[in-house]
Amino acid sequence: MNRSWLWVGVVAGVLGIHAGVSTAQMKGSIFGPGTRSYPVAVAPLKNLSGPTAADVATRFADIVGRDLTLSGYFKILDRSAYIEKSEASGYTPDSINFENWSVIGALALVKGAYTLQGDNLTLEVRLFDVYQRRQLSGRRYHGPVSEVRRMANKFADEVIAQFTGERGPFDSRFAFVSTRDGKFKEIYVMSPDEGDLQQITRNQTLNVSPSWSPDSHSLLYTSYKRRNPDLFLIDLISGRETLLSQRPGLNLGAKMSPDGTKIAVTVEDDGNSDVVLLDRSGKVIRRLTDSWAIDVSPSWSPDGKQIAFCSNRGGGPQIYVVSADGGDARRVTFSGNYNTSPAWSPKGDLIAYVSRSEGEFNVFTIKVDGSDARQLTQAAGNNEDPSWGPDGRYMVFSSSRTGRRKLFITDITGGSQVQLTHGGGDDTSPAWSRWLE
Amino acid sequence: MGKRLLSVAVVGLLVAVLGGGCSAKKKGTQAGTEAGGVGEEGLAGGGSLEQYKAGTLGSGEQGPLQDIHFAFDSFELDEAARASLREDGNWLKDHPRAKVEAEGHCDERGTVEYNLALGAKRARAAKDYLVTLGIAADRLTTISYGEELPLCHEHTEECWAKNRRAHFVVVSE
Repeated sequence: MNRSWLWVGVVAGVLGIHAGVSTAQMKGSIFGPGTRSYPVAVAPLKNLSGPTAADVATRFADIVGRDLTLSGYFKILDRSAYIEKSEASGYTPDSINFENWSVIGALALVKGAYTLQGDNLTLEVRLFDVYQRRQLSGRRYHGPVSEVRRMANKFADEVIAQFTGERGPFDSRFAFVSTRDGKFKEIYVMSPDEGDLQQITRNQTLNVSPSWSPDSHSLLYTSYKRRNPDLFLIDLISGRETLLSQRPGLNLGAKMSPDGTKIAVTVEDDGNSDVVLLDRSGKVIRRLTDSWAIDVSPSWSPDGKQIAFCSNRGGGPQIYVVSADGGDARRVTFSGNYNTSPAWSPKGDLIAYVSRSEGEFNVFTIKVDGSDARQLTQAAGNNEDPSWGPDGRYMVFSSSRTGRRKLFITDITGGSQVQLTHGGGDDTSPAWSRWLE
Repeated sequence: MGKRLLSVAVVGLLVAVLGGGCSAKKKGTQAGTEAGGVGEEGLAGGGSLEQYKAGTLGSGEQGPLQDIHFAFDSFELDEAARASLREDGNWLKDHPRAKVEAEGHCDERGTVEYNLALGAKRARAAKDYLVTLGIAADRLTTISYGEELPLCHEHTEECWAKNRRAHFVVVSE
């Protein structure tokens, strides 16, 4: 298993930006909810190190383009239309012929170069405003050539930062459940561009509810491989797996606290599910709910002080919030009779959830105080399992809109919904990691 | 392995007797008691997860005990469910050494985790009712499979109704 993404560092530096140039005009004003498809050209990198078999030049451009497409803000112009060829043109502000880019409709341009010495890749890349003929941002990355994907994801996040004022979410990973390799639900991990796909479980039973540790090094998940649905923690660097909770019945939907010291999980007593807090060794610290009703799907507030969960104590399932110290729970959702799958935004202000109405399931957000419920998906199959990106602006969810269940990305407006996974089988229960750092 | 072959043979017999194993309409004990004496041993240990792994889930997997069915997002036992459980209770009284696992299942609609918790409630509701009928609690274990192991795979109410069930597996004699 190639786990290089976890531990091999990418060294990044900032390339000089022309003095006095401000990007303020670009931020927020051009981009906002409802504004879509800003045309960008992403040129293959120029090779400065002589003939090489590596496909770094196009791979980098492909991944940056894919990430920018996923963001919903950009339209990547077809490479075949590019007049300037990378190998025969410059990549610095002074050596680019911007007319060659404005004439094909590009408003922004990503251009750069690389050197490859053995396994060592050095990559220099810049973002240009084509209309104003100036550099908006530049980055130099250095690391093993296997890290080109992370370099591209990092630069895509930087492009998004330049245009929206907030860093993009793509230097990250997704865990999800899939039947892509047969009928069994196994857990997989991949990068945002659908690359670096790794199958984490291979036990040919049922594996559900993956979630990330805050350092993005480990996954919690529930597996029936010992027949009872037990809770496991797998360290993706060492491959070491720990059985954390094996109470008879459900050990389900575990989420690690933002500081990584505690785990909220659903356990079952005589058919009744409640949310409890475990320490990292799996020992129960305290019970968070103690009702006759179903209590499932805990989700931490980013400050670690509160936990949202789903309970049917009021009849149908609704979203509630309880202090991580215990005490009475406060109901958050009141509209609709089936609200599940709470996911607390990393920014802290919103809780995403799934609501059923007229036989369809859709993703909503609501403010933590219970006001301002907003529907993000509609009339596109069933949409479930929301999980926030590290930036608190994007989320991933599963949808049946294309037939099989696949993963999609949306921003909090619901305005752009882009398909993330393709191919066979059903992809469900996505979990989006924090930034890899 | 001999057991497995016997199991397949018995399942085949049951399918023939019942005229299709996916029927949710099966009522009465005649099939269960007729085949029951043969079926007990062969079906022992054949839970839905094992059947799923073997690719036989949904093909006449009914054992000597009848499934009971539920409304959407409910673990309430209706009169039909209680009537089935009374017959299942009689079988358990006739086979005092038998131990049974009650499996809770849900239809595909709704959330994986919520449905796993709902399945646990369904299995428990079935167990609790059997206990009130005089069956010793230590003869009955429960497990939830939520929406993970559907019998029927179409996206129709008819199919969903079949999948909202508690299923009973004889785990030892």
